[in-house]
Amino acid sequence: MHPEYPGPDPGAGDPGPRRVPRWEEDFPIQTERDHYVTRREFAKFLTLGSALLAAANAAIALVGLRRKDEHLPATLIAQASSIPPGGSMLFRYPTDQDPCILVRSRSGELLAYSQVCTHLSCAVVHDAEHGQLFCPCHHGCFSEAEGRPTAGPPTRSLPRIKMEQRGDDLYAVGVEV
Amino acid sequence: METRHQAVTLFTSVSLLIGVIVIIQLWLVAAALDALLGGQTSVLVPAAIASAVLLLINAGLLRLIIRLDSRVRRK
Repeated sequence: MHPEYPGPDPGAGDPGPRRVPRWEEDFPIQTERDHYVTRREFAKFLTLGSALLAAANAAIALVGLRRKDEHLPATLIAQASSIPPGGSMLFRYPTDQDPCILVRSRSGELLAYSQVCTHLSCAVVHDAEHGQLFCPCHHGCFSEAEGRPTAGPPTRSLPRIKMEQRGDDLYAVGVEV
Repeated sequence: METRHQAVTLFTSVSLLIGVIVIIQLWLVAAALDALLGGQTSVLVPAAIASAVLLLINAGLLRLIIRLDSRVRRK
């Protein structure tokens, strides 16, 4: 047993005031006081959190404004005559990291969307028979004509790729979220 | 001059109000992020302004708490 920590003596009765060991005199640790948080400190902490949230909101607004001003380059994606009605092809726009899908509806209209499902980013595929874009991961469906979610978990539309046809050439010229 | 009991009630009410405002700001951040991902950029600036106004209200409430605290301690 440590000489400064004598064990309890059963026959001694009232032990009296606690003897403070030498180390505690040299290094006083007041756990209760350390863990005590005043209401004022709590309010300060909450206000600091409020400042961080306001900063986060400002950052989101800045990102949104920057994205609004972005001009994307026109990129040749395909020859219009190479896509038959009900057919589709994949391309990447505006960068190599952004997969997109170009579809020709049964009525002959050419439409292009981001291939990334707005639910959990799986790749959507063209389902010409039902006139929709289908996500096989969670069975999400988007309308072929507008890219709107029609079934399954997705709640946001697929970003639409704006196109321009110059002769037989199809150019992607922008993204409409 | 407030009594200590009144001060405690005031502290609690103001802290609660600050907490509610922080929760509203948290909701604003979530809504703004959802709008950003959904391409609705028009709501982002109003959301940021609303969040800044709420921060100012919180700062005012904190100032009130600190003043009240020091006044009660002085008694």
